[in-house]
Amino acid sequence: MLSSKDIASLRIQRWLSVLAAAPLYAFIRVVLRWRFRYRFSNAREFQEKIWRELDAHDGPVFWAANHLTLIDSFLVFAAVVPWKKLHRTRLIPWSTPEYRNYYHLGSLPKKISVRTLMYLCRCIPFLREGEDAASERWRKRVFAKCEWLLKRGEAVFMYPEAGRERSGWLERHRPKDFLGRLALEAPNAKFLCLYVRGDHQLYTTAVPRRDETFRSYGALIPAVLPGETTPRAIAQRLFDTLADLQEEWFAASSLPKNCGGNDVLDLKSPRLAEHFDAESGETDPEWMSRHLTAREQKSLEALPPGFKRFAEACKFIAAKEAAHKALTQSGIQTPQGGFLMLQADLFRRKVVHLPTGAQVDVRFTHEDEDKVHCVAVLRGGFIGDDETPGDVLWDVAEIPPGDDPHEFARGKCLEFIAESSDEISSPALLAFTDDGGAPKVLQGGKVQDWGVSLSHSGRYAAWSFMIS
Amino acid sequence: MAFKRKEATIEATDLNTITPEEAEKRIIAGVKKYATNEGNWSKADANTPFLGHIIGMGIESSNLADITMSIERQFLTKKTKRVPVSEGSAEFKLEDGELGKLRILDGQDATAATPGLSIKMLMDLGHMPKNDAYLSKVVSFAYITSIGEGWRTNDALKKLVARIEKLSGTEKDEAKANLKALCDQARAYEALIADSAAFATSRQKIGQNDQAAYDSLRQELTVLEDKIKGVSATNDAERLAALRAEEAEVRTRLKMSAQKLTVSGTVAREASQRTPVIQAKIEEIRALLRQSLQEAERALA
Repeated sequence: MLSSKDIASLRIQRWLSVLAAAPLYAFIRVVLRWRFRYRFSNAREFQEKIWRELDAHDGPVFWAANHLTLIDSFLVFAAVVPWKKLHRTRLIPWSTPEYRNYYHLGSLPKKISVRTLMYLCRCIPFLREGEDAASERWRKRVFAKCEWLLKRGEAVFMYPEAGRERSGWLERHRPKDFLGRLALEAPNAKFLCLYVRGDHQLYTTAVPRRDETFRSYGALIPAVLPGETTPRAIAQRLFDTLADLQEEWFAASSLPKNCGGNDVLDLKSPRLAEHFDAESGETDPEWMSRHLTAREQKSLEALPPGFKRFAEACKFIAAKEAAHKALTQSGIQTPQGGFLMLQADLFRRKVVHLPTGAQVDVRFTHEDEDKVHCVAVLRGGFIGDDETPGDVLWDVAEIPPGDDPHEFARGKCLEFIAESSDEISSPALLAFTDDGGAPKVLQGGKVQDWGVSLSHSGRYAAWSFMIS
Repeated sequence: MAFKRKEATIEATDLNTITPEEAEKRIIAGVKKYATNEGNWSKADANTPFLGHIIGMGIESSNLADITMSIERQFLTKKTKRVPVSEGSAEFKLEDGELGKLRILDGQDATAATPGLSIKMLMDLGHMPKNDAYLSKVVSFAYITSIGEGWRTNDALKKLVARIEKLSGTEKDEAKANLKALCDQARAYEALIADSAAFATSRQKIGQNDQAAYDSLRQELTVLEDKIKGVSATNDAERLAALRAEEAEVRTRLKMSAQKLTVSGTVAREASQRTPVIQAKIEEIRALLRQSLQEAERALA
């Protein structure tokens, strides 16, 4: 429960923020336009659509947006609110930024300026980490403040992903429940679902690049539908809506949406096995240091020497190769042989591209004494797990003796795509082409955004593509 | 001095006592066991890519590091003395010292895509004397990768023409749409590679992505430094330690981003420089593409 002091301080903050709204808005606009040279390409029709719906709704609103950069709150605000709507102070949202990220920045004057700016921008500092009683109390108080504001018909801004998604892809299969929980406390509210992204925003960054042009998509949907009683059901519908907006964004983008990769390694290939001593069970440390980062080597050293250690090392390499292919499709290049620029975490099933911080999901589909096969997804769909099938289809086969592995993989891949689709009657209707080092498939004279990937090693060839 | 590796014993040679041509031969011989395209390997020269199956030796990507390790095993250098890059830094560079094993540091081999470019790398790093006559025969990294694109397009074009000839009816008509698209791609490539200024501009644009990535990471570091400054004034030692660890991680990433930037900078710089050898390679692929396009047009007719 909020104390009367808490409520009074919220009222004062609201009143001061209304007073400062116009100069603050002008300041934000000037900085975005003149300091960063940002543009919003579909602003007018987007704002008209959103405000038509907002004006017709007199209840509270949750702003729920995708999260890619540290200044997203300002960008989303500038994308949604035109000058003429500044007087709708009830709909100007309250935010809950992480206290430890923003409230201790730089020198004292800087700290004071940032805190003042955030106060006037209706920020209520939140504390994500910490399991102690004080942290718990802090979180409960922030939720209580949000509930109080929502019950008065105000708006609250939250990022449903709870942080910046390092792949740059909002994944509908990984909903977070906290907004669903909050929505149950304000059932007459609506979600203002927003997807705002710069045309060149390949992955998560501190700020978007200069001269960036943003496109925005949005939808106003009920926070709770009749029959929805669990936070998960609400969160899932919210994530589905945001994911649909993301699809709309990518449909009008020059960036490829589906970015996947795959890699197979023949564990008995002499060219690979020469780095492994079957007698001692040790791997060649020099070779390892060229392929695995210090952190990866450390996790390998925790395993007992033997085949398992070798197979685990190969899993790291396959994961990094598959991730490299997924990254290449998105335009993120890794220099030739740059194995150390990629860092795999096999427990979390992630590979990080260290120069950019972009994160790729990986999944092993085959792990036996003969081979490892890994698929990777940067964006475009779900990689799949034990419960939910993913959006990547793959196959691994032995290369018939005497066949060219490259041609075998290509031919089989086209056959596999044709077999997987009711609309493609024959692989003859498909053809391979190349785009910046990544294979692409042509159908009907058009390059298809299928995230196609090919691999071969020793006796095996593998191929994958995405169906999202 | 001999290094033992499995059954193979390799006599390492001082790079300052052999010609670039001799070193090139040794590099090619050293990668034989990794080459899956025996035909291309057996006639390999300074400008044969290690990777790729059309004109390359067909070395698999999981064996990429083996190329560098093979070069290291075969040669000796005087650049063996480890000197910290800056005071207290864990990073080091190699300066003149006792004759010893060649060591190619992480990232230094990023543009060594052919035997000739590997020799260029050794010269640039000071392991062997610079030889302009030899280097004039080496196709630059910017062009070796772009010419490779041309070969891949040509290969795709020829294969599709061959497949279309075996089709009939609606299947043939639909497949022709793909051929038309590939022809357009081939023409666009041919026009781009023919125009040195346009080609250079296109490579510079690719480098802009890397510059943006580097700038973004610098901004991330600035934010972290601000956080550290802010938290330093408090007594939150745990938070400060976490931020310091994060800062070290971002600095490592920044170093890698800078390495990547060096590669794209090299490509952008080299893209505007065409030697007679490069021009000859360009004309070769252009002629092939024109021929394939004629065959494709016949198939489309």
